[in-house]
Amino acid sequence: MRLYAIGLSHRTAPVELRESVDFARGGVDRALASLAARGIGREIVVLSTCNRAEVYAVGDNEATAEGVRRFFSEYHNIAHGQMAEHLYVRNGADAARHLFRVAAGLDSLVVGEPQILGQVKAAYAAAHEAHCTAALTNRLFHCAFAAGKRVRSETGLAEGAVSISYAAIALAKKIFGDLKGRNVLILGAGEMAKLTGVHLQAQHVKQITIASRTLSTAERLAAHLGGTAVAWDSLDNALHAADIVVTATGASEPVLTRARIEEAMRPRRGRALFIIDIALPRDVESTAGDLEQVILYNIDDLQAIVQENLARRAAELAHAEAIVEEEVAKFVAWMQSREIVPTVVALRQRFEAIRQSELARLESKLAGLPPEARSRVDEVTRLIVEKLLLTPTEQLKSVSDEAMIVAYADALNRLFSLPSDKDTTEPDKESEVAS
Amino acid sequence: MHLLPLILYAIAAAAYIVHFAKRDERIGRFATATLGAGVLAHTYLIGMQTVQAGHAPLVGTSAAISAFVWLLGLSYLYVELTANERSMGGFVAVLLAGLAIIPALDNTVTPRPPVLQSPLFTVHVMSLLFAYANFALACVLGVTYVLLFKEIKAKHLGLFYTRLPSLQTLDVMNSRAITVGWIFLTIGCVIGGIWAVQVQNSPDPRVQAMSLGDPKILVAVLSWVLYSFALFARRIGWSGRRAAYLSGVAFAVVLLNFVLVGYFLTKSHNF
Repeated sequence: MRLYAIGLSHRTAPVELRESVDFARGGVDRALASLAARGIGREIVVLSTCNRAEVYAVGDNEATAEGVRRFFSEYHNIAHGQMAEHLYVRNGADAARHLFRVAAGLDSLVVGEPQILGQVKAAYAAAHEAHCTAALTNRLFHCAFAAGKRVRSETGLAEGAVSISYAAIALAKKIFGDLKGRNVLILGAGEMAKLTGVHLQAQHVKQITIASRTLSTAERLAAHLGGTAVAWDSLDNALHAADIVVTATGASEPVLTRARIEEAMRPRRGRALFIIDIALPRDVESTAGDLEQVILYNIDDLQAIVQENLARRAAELAHAEAIVEEEVAKFVAWMQSREIVPTVVALRQRFEAIRQSELARLESKLAGLPPEARSRVDEVTRLIVEKLLLTPTEQLKSVSDEAMIVAYADALNRLFSLPSDKDTTEPDKESEVAS
Repeated sequence: MHLLPLILYAIAAAAYIVHFAKRDERIGRFATATLGAGVLAHTYLIGMQTVQAGHAPLVGTSAAISAFVWLLGLSYLYVELTANERSMGGFVAVLLAGLAIIPALDNTVTPRPPVLQSPLFTVHVMSLLFAYANFALACVLGVTYVLLFKEIKAKHLGLFYTRLPSLQTLDVMNSRAITVGWIFLTIGCVIGGIWAVQVQNSPDPRVQAMSLGDPKILVAVLSWVLYSFALFARRIGWSGRRAAYLSGVAFAVVLLNFVLVGYFLTKSHNF
């Protein structure tokens, strides 16, 4: 049995094709059912996100991969020739490595983005629900989750905001912890003000107040964000109450001077004030940042953080890839030890059969013995068989090279004329030997 | 055996620091486990000493420091496990390992003089040591607050920014630790006073030296004043940063009293 990963992603296919190859649109369940109806693969998982469409399949041979490739075009009514050049096919360890990299966010458009792990989990859950998974995919996906989690917790790959709005919110969270219960004041009602307001609103802040030189534009934005608008004259009062101030006016002179902020800080009793100045030219006098408990970041500062985060993510890549390789090696070792299992089981069955037949042949001679002696004979013969098989079993299970496994299995099959049909393997024995 | 806690604390300190820098989850778990083992070994040691001496080994500065280290380790583990926050471990474990050197060098259990054979004495020492453990945590929280605040204010986001919890969290935990510490400091001092009055007729010269003029008692009162002010300062609007500095300074006074004054200067508390 082999593992295949077939699919396309933002790396191999243009956006138009990705848009039309979308398993999620008709429901992943339908895609799974359709695959199953075609008899493709013994185990199947379909992963569909806005940047990728992939099928993970376990089958007996290359026909499985070819079946899935055909399925991609037939299911979406796209000519096979048009689709084929954009599809990648990975098998065995490469397929596992591909999934682990995807789960870890290493294959994402924005490297390290955190949503993908959840999407992989959802894809597996859907396949599990539809009874399309079994031993190999179960293990594969749980190892992928583990790899994703390790990369997340042990590297800084997913760390640090990579957009200005998120950098500002991450900073606010580092200062205030939870942003619930915080008051936000937005100066200006333009596009930038609106965008930042939407991001802050998503953090469930307590109150958003908007001040603009023309009250009507402030009121319009306030209605959009579910906040309140205040007149430009009562700005100072709003400043007292605020924890986070976003300034994005089109003013040519600083709106918030150092003196004005100093005045507003007085009745605040040491409460910190975080000012995000995203206006160009700047709305806040830069010396205001020297005031105790005033933390001032302008658009250049935030831009610098974003650049630094991008560089840091890139620096974590090697570490993340190393973790993925470690997890792949673990999974592959398991997968290969599993391939030799049918041979081991057949070998043991063979030996046991010989022992039983010899005992049966001696039945007449043993008949005269007392029951304890007979059970002793049984025990001793069983132990001899066990001991004879112990070393070969261990040696077989430690073979990690795929070609060697096939060679060993072949040799054993010939030497002991073992039954070649692997399907005779009893499932419970298999798990016993594999563990 | 008496060196085992020190060794384990030192290993835990190193592991916490490596975890802080490299953020390897396994090293983090190893650090916590080693610290846990250190506290367990320390518990065993103190237990054995109690059995041998027939009383809790709280007499003498070394024994008191040992008990303090044990309480701090226990309190920190409680905070780490309940807050699920390992980033403070390096700071605390370094303090533990540093202080554990003293009882490791001098691990004799001083016999208890008759004047100390009162349950009030045990309550006095234990509540003060618990207060100090809280102040030590407050100090560590204060130091990390200042480090994080400086990074944010200087717009140079580095190691502390990515590793530490938010300023708000550090501030709240700091204020909580100071409040709990202050309550036990007050209880410890009051009980000490009551006990000193009870035994004032004792011929022991150390009891006769119990007065506000004794350095140990004087500095203890000073630290009580400092922590009372720290609580008060929040009400009059001191910022988190100044409160953080104060918790550092106040703990320096506590340490000074505990170690330096305890060993060399006091005439009343040199049991």
